[in-house]
Amino acid sequence: MNAAGAGTLAIVIAIIAVITLLVRPRGTSTVDFYLAGQRVGVATNALAICGDYFSAASFLGVAAAVYVSGLDGVWYAVGFAAGFVPVLLFVAAPLRRFGEFSIPDFLGRRLGSERVRLVAVAVVQLVILSYLVPQAVGSGMTWQLLVGRGLPGISAYATGVVVSTAVIAVLVAFGGMRGTTWTQAVQFLVLLAALVWLAGAVLAGGFGYAGAVSHLSSEPLANPVHDSAGWHLQPEENRLEPGADATFGEPGAAYGPLAQFALILTLVMGTAGLPHVMNRYFTSPTGTAARMTTVWVIGLAGLFYALAVMLGTASRDVIARAAPDRPWLQELTVDGVLRVPEHALPVLGRIYGGDQGLAVIAAGALVAVMSTIAGLLLAAAASWGHDVYERHINPGATQKQAVWAGRASTAVVAVAAAVLALVLRPENLSSTVPSIVAAMVTWAFAVAGSALTPVFILAIWWRGTTAAGAVAGMATGGLSTVAMFVVGALPVGPGLDDMLVTPTLVAAPLATAVCVLVSRRTAPPPDVEQQWLTLHGTAGDRQAERLARLTIANTAGPRRRGGRRAGG
Amino acid sequence: MDPDDVDEHDTPAEVDAAFRTLRRVAITHFLLFLAVVTGVPALSLTLGWWSDARIEGGLSPGFAMAAFGLYAFFLVVGLAAATLSNAVESRMLGGDHPGADGADRHEDQQ
Repeated sequence: MNAAGAGTLAIVIAIIAVITLLVRPRGTSTVDFYLAGQRVGVATNALAICGDYFSAASFLGVAAAVYVSGLDGVWYAVGFAAGFVPVLLFVAAPLRRFGEFSIPDFLGRRLGSERVRLVAVAVVQLVILSYLVPQAVGSGMTWQLLVGRGLPGISAYATGVVVSTAVIAVLVAFGGMRGTTWTQAVQFLVLLAALVWLAGAVLAGGFGYAGAVSHLSSEPLANPVHDSAGWHLQPEENRLEPGADATFGEPGAAYGPLAQFALILTLVMGTAGLPHVMNRYFTSPTGTAARMTTVWVIGLAGLFYALAVMLGTASRDVIARAAPDRPWLQELTVDGVLRVPEHALPVLGRIYGGDQGLAVIAAGALVAVMSTIAGLLLAAAASWGHDVYERHINPGATQKQAVWAGRASTAVVAVAAAVLALVLRPENLSSTVPSIVAAMVTWAFAVAGSALTPVFILAIWWRGTTAAGAVAGMATGGLSTVAMFVVGALPVGPGLDDMLVTPTLVAAPLATAVCVLVSRRTAPPPDVEQQWLTLHGTAGDRQAERLARLTIANTAGPRRRGGRRAGG
Repeated sequence: MDPDDVDEHDTPAEVDAAFRTLRRVAITHFLLFLAVVTGVPALSLTLGWWSDARIEGGLSPGFAMAAFGLYAFFLVVGLAAATLSNAVESRMLGGDHPGADGADRHEDQQ
């Protein structure tokens, strides 16, 4: 590792560790550990949600997908950004007003069923693991590029996976949601700053966005492949016009007609079922604050993804022209095109900022990975610690025991994710998709959007939803998604295979239909009208606002009196 | 006054009316959102002009929408829906109820 890279990484990790230490939960309450005392403000929570949400898939994966597939890669950015609109419209405010610890907790209490809670825990854990593995893969790939060597006896990739997962597991176990909120907010600002710096450097270096898209679209889009003849560029076939070459600025480089919509809708539906993102809404003080937090998130997401798409385009344009003059770049490219598309932003950083530029972007990538891992581990802790340990294993647990159960579960889930990332090495899969990191995250979105989101929205907006209906809906959505993944991995033909690996378009309506049909044949919980008042009324919000005003008045009163005495 | 004594509550009729209005707001905005978010790739697939034409600087309308136009649209839709939903809740919920803490609420409104 060069000195600049090591120094930058060390500073970033030290800042995050110090913040975690300073704002760690002082007590041992589970509300403090899992929900930061339910007092996180709108702007802070929006930044923390962004830190949670913008993972390796967003930072490295979106630029990589655009780099490889042009407009078809941009659909990742569109889907990731669009996902918060349904969250705002259907989920944020009622979810917070009902106020629980996790998605399984919400569904379990709303439908009055422990069976619903346990099935939801299983689905949530599947989503969390599916999401954690690509983060660990992303950290391994970044370490490989930045450091280039591993700890004694293990590869650079494995070292990246193990170090990032271990560091974050320790920070989460001791920082809880309060510590994690602030570190995620800071991590997002670091991430955004890295992206803004790179965009500024690229534009200052003379990059013309429109001209680059126009130039790249004037010739066939070709990417490196490795076969018996060695590495060489191969034009991408247009999946919308068989026999024609794909180009950068038009659709067809990666997806057929149906798959274009399937990808976007999978990402749109999946966001509302992501446990680490939805858990953040429980930390808002009121439902209205949760709603306004989402508006901020939509704005920040738009800025982030617009920059990521621009930088993916810039990478395609700039790296090809820079390769002939830079020996270090020739090792990473084939005729000016990167062999590993996830290297696009780090390489662009090195072109414009030398080793320090590479370190800034690599630190941003590691920060993206770490903040998302932190959110996922906390969601896993809330789900195992609160929904399983406190409810079923040790119902008489003290607050201290429950918090320690959460801490222990972060360690177990972190180890499972690291092991899976080491087994599923990216080189085994990367030839089949535009960006392996973005594609793996899409699988998590597919499970969440098919198994959780339909049931979640029905439970919030339809009084008739029952426990049996929810269990049937989650099982149908989850199983049909996994089945379609498996079939999609088989040689089923162009177009259909892409659609099958983004199966929400089929699985979510199926889960909804099954949930509705089964619910109509069973009875809803007897206290549904009371629950409706909590979900859709604002009395809790008004009470919280009133208590906040009283607290401020009580705090300000003595200060004013004290001030007058001091002045007199 | 002991803060625990604060009594805020909504009646089932009020909540039901607000729920129906909010549902209409959410579905209307969602349909608009869905039409645009699927309309952009649909236009890319069906309308040659959408991908071939060049607007200011050389970007096609399709690429410009996907690269930054849609994100601005998401923010506008989100902001409009949130503002309208907050206004609906503010007007339809939190009215005076007989036996509630009416004096305090009257004081707050002033």
